[in-house]
Amino acid sequence: MAHAQKRLAATASRVAHVPLSSIKSFPPKEALAASTSKRPFSPETWSALQPPPPSAFSALAHRIGLASTVDTGDLQQACTHPSVLQLHATHLPNQPPPPANGNLATLGNSLLGLFATEHLSATYPHLPTRVLKAAVSAYVGPYTCANVAREIGAAHLLRWQRTPPTPLKPAVLHSDALSSIPRALTALVYQHRSLPVARTFAQNFFLSREVDLRPMLKFRDPKLNLTETVAKFGRERPVSRLLNETGRFSNSPVFVVGVYSGADKLGEGFGSSLKMAEYRAAEDALHRLYLTRTPPHLVQLPTATFPAVEGGEEGAYAPGDLGTSEVLTGSAGRSSIVLPKRPSFAEEDVDES
Amino acid sequence: MASKLAPATKPIFRAQLTSRPSNGHTAFVPQIRKLVFEYCDKWASSANTRTYLHNHLEELARAHPHIEVVVRQRNLKQPIVRGFYLNDNEKVIPLNGFEVNGIQNKVQLLLDSSGAKIKSLKRRTVESTAESARGIWSGVHDTPFKI
Repeated sequence: MAHAQKRLAATASRVAHVPLSSIKSFPPKEALAASTSKRPFSPETWSALQPPPPSAFSALAHRIGLASTVDTGDLQQACTHPSVLQLHATHLPNQPPPPANGNLATLGNSLLGLFATEHLSATYPHLPTRVLKAAVSAYVGPYTCANVAREIGAAHLLRWQRTPPTPLKPAVLHSDALSSIPRALTALVYQHRSLPVARTFAQNFFLSREVDLRPMLKFRDPKLNLTETVAKFGRERPVSRLLNETGRFSNSPVFVVGVYSGADKLGEGFGSSLKMAEYRAAEDALHRLYLTRTPPHLVQLPTATFPAVEGGEEGAYAPGDLGTSEVLTGSAGRSSIVLPKRPSFAEEDVDES
Repeated sequence: MASKLAPATKPIFRAQLTSRPSNGHTAFVPQIRKLVFEYCDKWASSANTRTYLHNHLEELARAHPHIEVVVRQRNLKQPIVRGFYLNDNEKVIPLNGFEVNGIQNKVQLLLDSSGAKIKSLKRRTVESTAESARGIWSGVHDTPFKI
């Protein structure tokens, strides 16, 4: 019973909402049996074609603090996905097509990627590349953008059409259409104000969200990784020591193990077995290295050089320390299958005589 | 040939690439998006509501530009105020029996709410993503365990 209600609510949230206060007469004339039209009336199509009321866009602008930056027309454009243009052309050919957010979404996507990447690489200088890329997706990727659109209340204002996949274009689903809205908003802020203001918008709505990076840093054998990483730094080899234990031979033992390099404790882990605790200790040590965080007041961003006003003074930027590269262990990334050697391009011998 | 080993680092799957909201940490998005007042033109039970709508509604709408305010006439029924929230919830409060300041209090209740279901304070366990102020007690550590 609860499942059926959830499905109904989920379906209802994806169908366009038409508030009664925004339409002049209900039911619409096309729906009445007396009207003679070529096509049978479809309520889904009719509701998808109704523009949301301007008061809703004004409220959205005030809700996200952009009332003085963008006007209602810009917001309408930001909430119109290009997939609705085909529907508009079919059913309302006499009206001019509404401006869509395709270009704005692309620009905003690039901007968000830029802001997230520089923020994360400045905040976590030692983060491995694959984790940095995953973190950028977590902060400004499609799922987050769709969630941000829902959380600011733009889901009801979205105009879109579900499109099946074609050989040339991927499918357009609800979350794809939703994710275009915050991207378009970022692009609008950039266009109307400046890059630093767009960066502040991205920081307020995207980079302040909670992402746990620890589940993204998982190893098959953290002890091996730790040994090799410690060797790279020229320290003594790691040794695990039992710090505390309770309940050995009972049904719920707890062991606390620390991993030491000489006298320095690198990490600590707990577990219900010695091996488990040792595994967690090695993982903890690696997390403490890779997730070293620059304090927010010391973070230096390259886009800080962009002036706030066009033609204004450039900001200062001092690059932070280069992070250490991740130690690749085992056959990291390479399969154990030996491939035949590819013929290398012959290098020209530089005559040094 | 050597058997294929599992990769040295576990793959990161797409579904993991999400984030959780932190409304209020930097920008605050108010959770109420629309208020709908429904009143009857004739009945005495809507008299105080009509007075409120005449005297105080415009001021409320100007003070909260992030809320859409709608007034509907619904004859032969008791007066009602509906709040619509960003989590797709609705709160409906009947306004018969209140004076004008009582109606103001009920409207303020809707404005303050987040639309989340009201859960009893008695049986909830603590849910938090923030670390505790005094640490979590642990029998296997000297000092309290810090997250």
